[in-house]
Amino acid sequence: MEFKVNSKELEKLLTKIIPAVPTRTPMPILENFLFEIKNGLLTIYATDLEISLKSSINIVTEENISIVVPAKLLYDVIRSLGDTTVHFNITGNGKLSLTTDNGQYSLSYLDSTEFPEIPSFPDQNENEDLAEISIPGMDLKEALEKTSFAMSKEEMRPAMMGTLFEFGEDGLRFVSTDGHRLVNMLNKKITSGINNQYIVPEKAISVLLKILDEKDVKLYMSKTHISFKLNDIELITRLIGQKYPDYKSVIPLENEFELKLKTKDLHNAIKRMMLFSTSNTRRVKFSIKENNLEISAEDLDIGASGKENVVCTYSGDSIDIGFNSAYVNDILSHLVNLKEIIFKLHSPTKAVVIVPDEKDENIDLMMLIMPVRLNN
Amino acid sequence: MNHPELCRRVTEKLMRTIFHLDLDAFFVSVERIVDPSLNEKPVVVGADPKYGRGVVAACSYEARDYGLHSGMPIKQAYRLCPNAIYVHGSHGEYGRFSKAVKYILSKYAPQIEQASIDEFYMDFTGCTHIYGPLFMFASKLQKEIWNTLKLPCSIGIARNKTIAKIASDFMKPRGVTYVLPEMEKEFLAPMPAESMPGIGKETLKHLHHKGFYTLGDIAGVKEDYFSAAFGKYGTDMWRKANGQGSEYLSLPADQKSISHERTFHQDEMNKCYVESILFKLTGKVCQTLRNNDWQASTITIKLRYSDFVTITRSKTIKQTDDDRVIFRTASEMLRKAYNRRVAVRLVGLSLTKFSPFSEQQKLFESAEERREKMLSAVSVIRSKFGFDSIKVGSF
Repeated sequence: MEFKVNSKELEKLLTKIIPAVPTRTPMPILENFLFEIKNGLLTIYATDLEISLKSSINIVTEENISIVVPAKLLYDVIRSLGDTTVHFNITGNGKLSLTTDNGQYSLSYLDSTEFPEIPSFPDQNENEDLAEISIPGMDLKEALEKTSFAMSKEEMRPAMMGTLFEFGEDGLRFVSTDGHRLVNMLNKKITSGINNQYIVPEKAISVLLKILDEKDVKLYMSKTHISFKLNDIELITRLIGQKYPDYKSVIPLENEFELKLKTKDLHNAIKRMMLFSTSNTRRVKFSIKENNLEISAEDLDIGASGKENVVCTYSGDSIDIGFNSAYVNDILSHLVNLKEIIFKLHSPTKAVVIVPDEKDENIDLMMLIMPVRLNN
Repeated sequence: MNHPELCRRVTEKLMRTIFHLDLDAFFVSVERIVDPSLNEKPVVVGADPKYGRGVVAACSYEARDYGLHSGMPIKQAYRLCPNAIYVHGSHGEYGRFSKAVKYILSKYAPQIEQASIDEFYMDFTGCTHIYGPLFMFASKLQKEIWNTLKLPCSIGIARNKTIAKIASDFMKPRGVTYVLPEMEKEFLAPMPAESMPGIGKETLKHLHHKGFYTLGDIAGVKEDYFSAAFGKYGTDMWRKANGQGSEYLSLPADQKSISHERTFHQDEMNKCYVESILFKLTGKVCQTLRNNDWQASTITIKLRYSDFVTITRSKTIKQTDDDRVIFRTASEMLRKAYNRRVAVRLVGLSLTKFSPFSEQQKLFESAEERREKMLSAVSVIRSKFGFDSIKVGSF
């Protein structure tokens, strides 16, 4: 069978799909794209068994066929072609030939029977409890950008290796934590009749951040999978089937002392202090007194130290509290668009809550960081 | 500046004084305290000669008259001296006595390095003003250990660890040997080559073959010649024979690794059993780790097959002191590494890349906090009643 595609269009499509192709896998079949041609529609799939990506393009052909094609080779060839028309010719002897104005390239393809089945939404799951909702792409992107950095990389607590999507009456809440810091963001605009929690794994989040745009995203959630349907691409991922830690119970409600300061001032000072904090503990000390914040760090191994004063507003008890400077830096770099922020404190060993100074009527954003014990 | 570093700088310019204290026939001495009927009889502590595998861990001076020595295969020992009393050994008891000796030493020595269960190095640099002539002081120390614990020991005093060790061996049992500064070469010259720690049977054969019989023979040739003949190890040997050696103790702060290994009584094919030993080793290394308030991030396993092919595998993970995490990582590596259908002779586990216990507070403490509390309770029980007093059932 034969069909034609524009190389640039195909390249755009493959670029979106290729993140799901695993680089190292014990199942060589996964290093391929699945090409499915049905009723004049070419749908391309890729999967690493955790996430799957699929996208379609219209072509002119009358036959239906399903084959698997080496992903990296095809992608590299198409990418190198420039803007041209590519004639695809699938022959019966396992060869796929690509012909352009000047060249002819031949690839081997395999039968699609061994390619793992990719869950499909919503049609195959009609009988199942399937929740669906539509969300503006940018809202989802912003939420993931703000929360995803706090996800854990440790396999000991699998539930924390993803971002929690919690649908409730007050809106859609995104939570991520690694047990040392936590980000909790509620988008009140996104309301639905759904009352459920889903944990989306890290890989899916990082792919989503690349493909999301201003268009709406349609979400389908089953018990085991979630699908994000964008305009021209669909991401399906396995959900982490574990119980998310009870994040609500660790958010302190009565942190009475408020330290208000300019985000940028503190961020710049922290970046300088990171140069002086000991490499294995990365500890930085905040000495907070009335309207005065001194931050300091020292590296005993190389005999270096630094301290700085940061302008602030504070009227609570004097507190000396330690933090991992890398964690503070992570949090601040996700709050840089806010002019002022508030640190809510209670004592040197209790969780510290960081919130924006100006409230947004649609978004509730809260970050939390656990201190590092100071040795004196 | 940390304490050992400070000590090092202060004592840098002083003449070094290192003590090496070696408990004489330690295992036998302990067995004799436990069972006085063994006194004045040839006693061998070690493997059971009926099984015919394993070696002599220690033997009494009476047994040495028959040609026995520690490290000798138990079968050979039995052939030479079938009338000796063979004791299997009570390890918990040895640890307790060793600790008691360390306690006495720690009353006097500013720095102690425990080299093994029955050997201690002490740094007495600059202590003459406190304790008087060091030779007399060493006899006093020896007497105190005998009076309180009934354990005999020998002490060597010298400028560095190597000579102190050779010196403590010089007048055994119950000897005190002081090698005066600048007299090291003269002291070492007439000694047979094998008296230097680190020279074993094989090396000795090579040395004899090339005509080196005493340490004086080694010291007498040029360094270049010797290192050309024996490689990098040769340089080290030559330096030791010339009275050079490490002048500083390796203190816990400088410790680079914690390791344990186990040689099986019989080569083992059963993977589950090998893993169960790895489990035990994990408990031991983790306990030492926690006792030091450290966390480790690199885990290494060692696997020796019966044909002596040895494999090591390492993995670096986020720093931890938890048995559970370390065992999981180690057993996973073991399963991957054990891929031959050959029996295993030895399995070992070591931890490296230490960092001080993290003071980072955690959010979801409940489970982890409970575990931390449990582990510290285990540490307290073990420090009081010995390692084997409490064991992990499962994770």
